[in-house]
This record gives sequence, C-alpha cells and structure tokens, in this order.
Amino acid sequence: MTTIHNLQASQIQTGDKLPEFALPITARLVVSAAIATQDFQDVHHDKAAAQEKGTPDIFMNILTTNGFVGRYLTDWAGPGSRIKKIRFNLGAPNYPGDTMIMSGEVKELSEENGLTLVHVEFRGKNGMGNHVSGSAIVQLADKGASK
Amino acid sequence: MSAPHSSATLSRKAAIVGIGATEFSKDSGRTEMQLALEAVKAALDDAGLKGSDIDGMSSFSMDHNWENEILRQVGGKELKFFSRTEFGGGAACGPFVHAATAIASGLCNTVVIYRALNERSGLRFGAGQLFNTSPLDPNIINFSHYFPYGFMTPAAWIAFSARRYMHEFGATSEDFGRVAVAMRDFAATNPNAFFYQKPITLEQHQTSRMIADPLRLLDCCQESDGAVAFVVTSVERAKHLANIPAVIAGARQSIASTTRMMTPFYGESISGIPEFDACADDVYGMAGLSPADIDMACLYDHFSPWVLPQLEAFGFCKRGEAKDFVKDGHIGRGGKLPVNTHGGQLGEAYIHGMNGIAEAVRQIRGTSVNQVANVNHVLITAGAGVPTGAAILAKG
Amino acid sequence: MSDPAVAALLELVTPLVNRRVGPYNGWNPVTRTQIWQWCMAMGDENPLYLDDDYRAANTDFTGAVAPPTMMQMWTMRAVNGDHGPGSTRQNPYEILAIMEQHGFAGVMAVSYDQTFHRYLQEGDQVHHYSTIIKISDLKTTGVGKGFFVTEKAEYMDQNNEVFAEALITYFQYQTPPKQPGAKKAAAPGKINRVHPVENQDTAHFWQGLRDGKLLIQRCTSCNTLRHPPQPMCEKCQSLQWDCIESTGQGSVYTFTVMHYPEIPPFDYPNTIVLVDLQEGVRIVSQLIDTKPGDVHIGMPVAMQIKEVQDGMSLPLFRPVQK
Repeated sequence: MTTIHNLQASQIQTGDKLPEFALPITARLVVSAAIATQDFQDVHHDKAAAQEKGTPDIFMNILTTNGFVGRYLTDWAGPGSRIKKIRFNLGAPNYPGDTMIMSGEVKELSEENGLTLVHVEFRGKNGMGNHVSGSAIVQLADKGASK
Repeated sequence: MSAPHSSATLSRKAAIVGIGATEFSKDSGRTEMQLALEAVKAALDDAGLKGSDIDGMSSFSMDHNWENEILRQVGGKELKFFSRTEFGGGAACGPFVHAATAIASGLCNTVVIYRALNERSGLRFGAGQLFNTSPLDPNIINFSHYFPYGFMTPAAWIAFSARRYMHEFGATSEDFGRVAVAMRDFAATNPNAFFYQKPITLEQHQTSRMIADPLRLLDCCQESDGAVAFVVTSVERAKHLANIPAVIAGARQSIASTTRMMTPFYGESISGIPEFDACADDVYGMAGLSPADIDMACLYDHFSPWVLPQLEAFGFCKRGEAKDFVKDGHIGRGGKLPVNTHGGQLGEAYIHGMNGIAEAVRQIRGTSVNQVANVNHVLITAGAGVPTGAAILAKG
Repeated sequence: MSDPAVAALLELVTPLVNRRVGPYNGWNPVTRTQIWQWCMAMGDENPLYLDDDYRAANTDFTGAVAPPTMMQMWTMRAVNGDHGPGSTRQNPYEILAIMEQHGFAGVMAVSYDQTFHRYLQEGDQVHHYSTIIKISDLKTTGVGKGFFVTEKAEYMDQNNEVFAEALITYFQYQTPPKQPGAKKAAAPGKINRVHPVENQDTAHFWQGLRDGKLLIQRCTSCNTLRHPPQPMCEKCQSLQWDCIESTGQGSVYTFTVMHYPEIPPFDYPNTIVLVDLQEGVRIVSQLIDTKPGDVHIGMPVAMQIKEVQDGMSLPLFRPVQK
C-alpha cells in the first residue's frame, strides 16, 4: 500500500517548480501505450511504415502524451486531486532512444466552491526540443475529505 | 569627421533609371532564379532598355543567382564588370557604389543590380541559422564565441546594443515602438506591403510577445520572399530615357575599426553605429549636401531600435536625441523627415534593404503611393551591425 | 497551389463546417481491464484508479476509476477500423479527407484543449459527437503550406451528459515532393549545442576551457589584452602573444533575455550577458542561477567553467552576492 500524500494549498505558491520527471522513450513504451490507448496507426508500431512516411522511427502517439501529462500532474498533486483542464501544443516527436524531461511551474492559485485550483504550466522536453508544452488546472484534494 | 572626403569622381556620374520587383510574400512558390529574372526584366522594361544593353552586374555575396545565368536568360551579350558585396543586408548600398565607380571610370555603361531571396519559405535567418562547420569558414570561427550559449539570432545580437542605448540615453521600449508604428502606418497605405491595411498602435507594440528583451515581436522585421532589381547607367545615357533619373550623388561603403560581423560588442561604446558615424560626412561631402537638404530617408530597419542611431549619425538630431525626434513625429507621415514611406522592412517586406532603395527612387520620381512633396534628395542606408554603406540619391 | 484552387477547395469544405456528426459509440463499457492496461503502460500508480481500499476509504466512487485523460480512448475505433455498434457511418473527418484528395496529404495534431467535468468509473458507457468548428486560411509553417482545422469533440455518458470535451487542432498540409533518390529519414539524434569550431588562432582558448582556465590573449610586445582571440595585436601589430588566466570576475555591460524562437537544447528564457571582465576585456556568455528579471547592467558576476556536454567546456557566469 503506497503512502497517500495529497498536496495542500498551504504548501504551494506561485512560482513553485514541480519536480522534474525523466521518461526514457523506448519502442516498447511507444507500442504498449499506443495499444493501451487503442491507437493502431502504423507510425506508432511499424518502423518501416513510419520511415516510408518520412519519419526516422516510430513515435509516441498523442493520447500517450496526454496520459503522461495527466500522470505527471497527479503524481505531484496526489490522488485526492482532480484534473479539470489540460491544454497543450505538440512539437518535437518522441522517438525511441530519446528521453523526455517533464517540468512544470505553478502560475496561479484560485478558489472555486471552497476548493483550491492550481494553474500549472508544464512542458516535456526531449533531445530535439519541446515535445509538449501547455497548461493545466488541477483541483487540490479537499482538506476535510483527505485521510 | 575631419578626414578628407572621398574623391568625388563618382558623384553624379551614374543614375538609377529602372526599378523592378516581384510581389512580396511568405512563400513565392518559385525559385530564387526565377524571382531574380522577373525583377531584372521588370527593371529593364521600366528603364526602356533591353538585356543586350547590360554590360555590368552587381549583387550580394549571399545571393544564390549567378550573373552568367541571368545575363543569358535576359538576352544579354557580354558583361565587362561584375561584383558582389559581402555581409548580408550590409551589402544594400555596396552594389550602387560599385556600379557608379565602374560607370564613372568608363569600365562599363549599364549595370543591373539584383537581390532575390526566398528567405521566409527557404533558409530563414531568424531561426538560429547554422553555418558550415569547417574551420576554413570565417563565419563559424566568429560565431563559435556565441552559438554554444544559444546566442544565435539576429534579434538577440541587436538586443545587446538596444539595451545599451536605453541605458545611456534613457530611451524606452516605447521609443522603439514609435518607429514600428510609423513604418506600419506607411505600410498600411501601400498595396505592395505585406502589412497593407494593417497599421499597429503603440499599445499593440507594447503587448506583442517578447523575442529577445528588449526587442518585442513588432520591433523585428518580417521574413519575406521576393526580389528587387535596378538598372544603373551613365547620367548621359539617362538623359535619353523616359524616367526621371535618381542620380547617385554620394555613395560609400563603410567598415570601422570596431566593426564585427553582426557582433559589434567590443568597441568602447556599442550603443551607436560607428560605420555610419564614419561615413556620414563623406556621403554628404561627395554630394555637396547637408542634412537639411535631405527630404526623406530610406533607412535600414531590420530592427526598430537601430533606426534611432542612424538618425543621429546622419545629423538629423544630436546623439541620444533620436527618441525625441521620433516622438515628435518627424519620421512619420507629414513629418519633416519621413522615413521608409513604403513601410520599411518592418511593414513592406524584408528584401535585404533593396525594397527601400526602390522606394527612394520612386520618391525622386514622384511616384510613391505615400509621396512626399518636392523630393530632391533621399538618403539611403544599408544594414547596421555589419560592414555597410550609405548613399544619397538626387533628382536628375 | 494557386489562389483560385485554394478558393475552390475552401468552397468545398466550408459547408461542412459546424456539421455535428455522431454518435460514435464505445465498443465496451468502462472496464477495470482497460484502465489497468492504460495505467501499466503509463506507469501511473495513482491509487484512485485501481486501489479499491483507497477508493472506498476516501471517495464516493463505487468501482475502478478511469484516468480523465482516457477520455478519447473509450470511443476509438477497434483494430479492424470500426467504431462501436450503433455508431454513425459518417466520417467525422470528411473535411480532412477532401483536403487530402486535393494534395494536402499530411496531417499532424498541433494542439489539444480538454475540459473534464467528471471522472468515469467502471460501468459507464461512452459515446461522442464531433464537429469541425473552424478552418484557417492557407498558412505556411515549418512543414509546409496547409490549413489549421479545429475539431470540437463532446464526450458523453449513458445519460447523454457531457463528462468531457475537447478542442483538437490539426494541421492538414501539402507534403513536399520527394527528391528522386532521396534517402530514408536518418536516425533521430539528440540536438546538442553547436560545438565551437577551432582553428590555429583560437584552439588555445578552447583548450584552456577544457583545462579549466579562461585564457585572455596578451600581446608580448605591448602587453595589450584582447578577446576574442586573433593573430595580430591591433595596437602594435605584433604577432607574438601569450595568455593570462582570467579571474573570471566582472560585471554585466549589457544583456538580453532570449524568449523566442526556442532553439534546442537551450532552456528558455535564456539570459545572455556581455561581461566586462576585471582584466579589461569583454566576453559573451550565459548568465545562470538567476531569474531573468534580476539581471541588470553593472551587476557583479563571477565565472564558473562548466562541461555543458561531452568535450565542451564553457565559461558561464552567475551573480555575485555583495
């Protein structure tokens, strides 16, 4: 049983950095996550087909990127948090052999229905530049409800 | 400057008698060779001359189009003179100096000058451009002191000087913004400008995204595809042609002891443009004119901050006072020295300054869409921050 | 592509804008197995999703909870290409297909904008509707000319309540013609800092940095210092020189904070400084360990030589506390 840690509003302020997270990109990761997201486009599992389309290798699909963004946010904010919004732009593809470094920063804190909303800017940078960059709104765990 | 003036033998010996250009766009959809040919043909037609009349050519070292290819295709017979000028936009006046010199010396009679580039759809200069990595290339030896830090865009290099200018003279980002607003105001009424009918406000400038602090997006020129060409011939021949000649009254290239290639960071002061300080008196002297005689100017505006020290170097205001000169509206529509009435590279297009020289010719002829009244003398400058040049055109 | 051809294409696709199509049904209800497969692939150990004890003790959910970012996955087509039973046969991307037939064969998603109203749990049943809401003018980007096309997707549960919605923007572009004999795309490589290129005039400087020293050239004839390195003394024209080791102490003469374009592998904003070294020469470098807003002209700085990547040592500067 993992220890439950929920981030509290009192623990953060604007300008705080989220801990960095390094994700090694492997062919196994690209393929297994493409299938878990039900994305059967050949560029996500067939290297020869990907090369025929002018890319050097298979590359991570967007739904997987989305999944890792979600995981990055809740790994930080805890299981009592809820993701309200995620928006991002896509850039350099994630190819096997690269590493994506996720980083983030708290840009704003607001309140809604007695709960704290954290506005986060994040990016995932690989060896060729930004793979993903965007912003999210995460609702922190209700103080009373978390145990 | 107390240095003696350059020999005036080239003064008023040659004139621009033809101008031609393609449309200016973000994606021309054709090769730089075709753009060059279209512009050269248009310039010849404008002058009322044929390819077989050409006996000289001059262009930029950065231009990718060979003289022999152009000569053959426009129906030329023989070139007696051809030259190139190095250093990007710093080359904008050099070809006119070369042409006037060659014509004045009797080496040749009619010189075509051209610059064609697919800068936006092709190799973009603003994107952190890479050079050859051979140690035989002087570019990479110079830029090795900058690129490893990520200091690789023209906007960032210019920002060093702009920051010093602000620090030393109390100028602000708004002062740079007023230059951009004035250029875009002219572009808004020029149908050939990319930003036709798209003027900007100072507030829009102030809220435009930061590129390389203190330079904002609207301080930076566009990136463009297009070509501009000119026909220069002797003033005697010009008398027999239809257009009002734009006579090359004074023209000079300029390198100072502190000049570097885009990275002039090591002189005692880096807030001015020593190349223009050095050549201004000469250019006026050759033309027998003074700043008060200049009716309008086409100044190289790759980045708005560097328009200010040009106004100072050429004597339109004192050192450090260009911000007030601009604030008082003197470079704008109806001002006492309208600058870049085509909209400049900020508003019309980035053709390495050559579109500004074409506008100078139109002002002399009285055919600009933003015509200034009674234009007799126009000052033109080439790129700042590099080896450069300047010239004065006079109504013939 | 000529302007009339672009106009003709836009005339074809514009009537299809704002046409809402659907439903596209999921093949299965929200199931623990698929949540498990997702969480395993993503390495997501959030106990909210699959830990029954945690969920019972802390939440009102009654079954396994789906990560919100699975939103789009529930109605994806199966491996055979079909949507779930009862789905409309209409192609939600007819506009993109028409553009493809007109030479705009490349497509890439450029942005995602998702709003989550509630988390799904086991047993929920998903369907979605799709509407293309916007087509841009013809734009030119790094990959070519094309159109930005924005899709609005509404994700609904068995009660027809929207639990999530997304705006997804695609770029549908003209793929450039291949050069005959062009090779397949090369293996991807990490983008590194541009490595300094050395010649006989500058090699000592870069070697000095690899040895942990910032060397300033000194004319042995008139003792004038100079940087960047060059063969001849500009004061006395001597070609004889040696070097002194800089203390690395100095102050900021001018600076810029670079924001755009973001050139890999650098972090942005990137603060570049022109430093007046105590010895009397200037050098360009990066300012590290400071916030972009804190830099100012005259700021005292000190150098630290850092191996920023294999074989590349650079003199970087940081502020000095007074």
